[in-house]
Amino acid sequence: MPLRWVPAVAIGRAVRIAARLRKPGGGSAVPGLVVNRLAPGFLGSVLFSFPEGLAVVSGSAGKSTTTKMLVAVLEAHGKRVFTNPSTANISQGLTSALLERARLTGRIDADVAVLEMDEGHGALLSDRFRSRVVLLTNVMTDQIDRFHDSEKVLGMLRRIAATATERLVLNGDDGLLARIRSDVPVRRFGVTDGVLAASPRGLGYAETVRPPEADGAVVTAVAGASAAVLLDGRQHQVRLPARGVHYAVDAAGALTAAEEMLGDAFDAETAVAAISAMPAVFGRGEVVTVRGVQVEFVLVQNPASFQLNVDELEEGLDQVLVAMGSDVRDPSYFWPVDASRIGRALVVTGSKAEEIALQLIYQGVQVVRIEPDLPAAIDHFLSLPAPARGVKTIVFTADAMRRTRAHLGLTS
Amino acid sequence: MTAAILTLFPEVTDVNGDAQNALVLARRAEWAGEDAVVVPAPLWAVPDVQPAAIVLGSSVDSALPRIRDGLLALLPRLTAWLDAGVPLLAIGTGMELLGSRIDLGNGSVVEGIGLLPGSASPLAVRVTDDLVVDAAEGRLIGYENHARGFRLDAGVPALGRVVTGVGDGRGVDGVRHGSMIGTRLHGPVLAKNPAFADALLARVFGRPVVPVSDQAKAADAAAAAIRARLLKGLPSR
Repeated sequence: MPLRWVPAVAIGRAVRIAARLRKPGGGSAVPGLVVNRLAPGFLGSVLFSFPEGLAVVSGSAGKSTTTKMLVAVLEAHGKRVFTNPSTANISQGLTSALLERARLTGRIDADVAVLEMDEGHGALLSDRFRSRVVLLTNVMTDQIDRFHDSEKVLGMLRRIAATATERLVLNGDDGLLARIRSDVPVRRFGVTDGVLAASPRGLGYAETVRPPEADGAVVTAVAGASAAVLLDGRQHQVRLPARGVHYAVDAAGALTAAEEMLGDAFDAETAVAAISAMPAVFGRGEVVTVRGVQVEFVLVQNPASFQLNVDELEEGLDQVLVAMGSDVRDPSYFWPVDASRIGRALVVTGSKAEEIALQLIYQGVQVVRIEPDLPAAIDHFLSLPAPARGVKTIVFTADAMRRTRAHLGLTS
Repeated sequence: MTAAILTLFPEVTDVNGDAQNALVLARRAEWAGEDAVVVPAPLWAVPDVQPAAIVLGSSVDSALPRIRDGLLALLPRLTAWLDAGVPLLAIGTGMELLGSRIDLGNGSVVEGIGLLPGSASPLAVRVTDDLVVDAAEGRLIGYENHARGFRLDAGVPALGRVVTGVGDGRGVDGVRHGSMIGTRLHGPVLAKNPAFADALLARVFGRPVVPVSDQAKAADAAAAAIRARLLKGLPSR
C-alpha cells in the first residue's frame, strides 16, 4: 500500500511550511502533531520500513551521546542512517523529523534507523513500533518532578525493552536494569571492577551491581578523554568526545549495539576509529572560542550528570560560572550532589540563580556574585581577565545553555 | 562539645535533598561559632552517638517498609532521645512513618511506628508546587511534591496554616508534637527559611544562635531573594 500515507505526508509538509512562515526556525513539533492526529499509524509504519531495522536508545542519561556514537559507527560501515535530533525525542517531534525525510509514500531513503527515545514518551509509543535492538543506558535518580521515582522509570524502560525482536543491550552495571526480564537474548556492557573503584562516587546509577558476566564491550581503563575497551577478547583504545568515565560507558554501549545491528559486517577497528573521530560533544565539556576567549561549556541535565561533571572538573579552577534555568522547576533534588569541588563560583546566574547559589554556599563554595539576568552575567564573566588556571568554565542546565548560546550567537 | 546532627538513612531519604537539612544546621552552627558535625546514620548501621538534632527525610513509597523496619529497630534509642527533648525534623514520608499508619490508596497500608498522633491517606490529586506556611517561626516557604495528607488526632497542633499550596490538605501543614516537627516542605527547607533553622539551633544549644560569617550573609541574602520572589503578591500575615 505505497500510497496509504500520501495524504498525511502531504498535509504534514504543508503544516511544516506554514509553521516556518509564521515562526522562522520554529514550529518543528507542529507537523508531527497534525499527522499523528490524522494518521495515527504513520509513525509505526515508517519505523518498520527500514530494510536493516531500527535500534532504539533509551535510559536516564547518556542517550544522546550513545545514539550519536552508534550512528557514527553504522555510517563508518557504509550504512545510510536515519536518526532523530536529540531535541525531537517526543512523538510529535519524531514524526516531524520523519516527515522531513519521508518520500510522499511514507518511506525513508535509509538502510537503518537509530532513535533516541525519552523514557516517558518511548514507553507511550512502545505499542506502536518494533525494534531489532534496544539499548538501555542506565537508570539515574533524575527528573523527580516528572517521574517521581526511579522505579517508575524502570517500568517505562521495561515497555521500551519489550519492543526488541532480536537483542536487548543493557548496561550490566546498572542494578535496576538487571531486573528487566527479556524474551530476546540480552547482551551486557559495562566497566571493570578497577574502573568502578577509580570512580570515587561510583557511576551515578540509582543502583550499581557487579554483573556475573559482561559479554559485550567492557571499559577496562579511562584516562581523561581516552579509554581502553575490551571487545570480543581484544583491547581497543578509544578517544572519547570529552573526558569522563560516562563517555567511555556510552562508547561501550554503542559498540555492543553496533555489533548486534551489523552482525558479520561489524569491524571493531572501523567502529573504534569512527567513535574516536567524533567531534567534542556539544555542550558537555565542549571548548569554544567566543569574543576571542576560550570557554568550556559543561551541560548538567540531572543530579547524576551534575555530580559526574563536577567530579571531572579540573580542581582549583578560578573562573567558573554556574547557570540554572527555568527548566528546573524545583532545584531541591540537586542538593544531594556534592558540588564543593567547584571551589569558587565567580558568577551564579539564571532564573534559579539564588537557589543553586544557596546550595553552593552551604556546600562550601565561595559564591562571588549572583546575577539572575543571564545575558548580563555572561557578558560580565567573559569580560573578566583571562583565568590564572584552566579555561573559563560555564556549568549550565539545558535551558540556560540554550539561552547562553542564543545570547552569544552560537548556532546549535 | 561537638553537636552531632544525625541524618537518618540518607541513602534512601535524600531523594529531594531533605537529608541536606542536617548540613544546613551544621553549617549555620559553625557560622555562629558553634561546633557541629553531620553524622549520617545508614539503615542498619546507626552509629553510637548522642544526637543534638535529628533529620528524617522523604523517600519513594517502595522504600517505606524498609525504612519503617529501620525505625522500629531504632525505636528504644529514638524514644529516649525524644524524651530528652532532642529536636527532630521529619519531612514528607519521614513524618508519615512516625505516625500510626500510611494508606497507600491502592488497598495496601504501611504501619507507622506510632510516635506521632496522626495518619496519612491519599489526597484527591498529586501536589507538585510551591508551598507557603505561616508557622510560629515565621512565614515558611518551599516546595511540596506528594500525594497524601497527614490527618492529626484531635487537639494535636499542626506546624502552621497553609497560605499557598496544599500541605496536608485541610488548610494546615505538618505537625508539632513534643520535640518533633513534621512538614511537607521538602528539600532544603531550613536553607530557604534561615529563621526556622536558627530556631531549631537555639533549642540544640540552649541559647540564641546567630550566624554572622560572610557565608551566612551570602546564604541569607540568597534565601531572602527566593522568598521575595515567591511571596510577591501574597497578602502579608
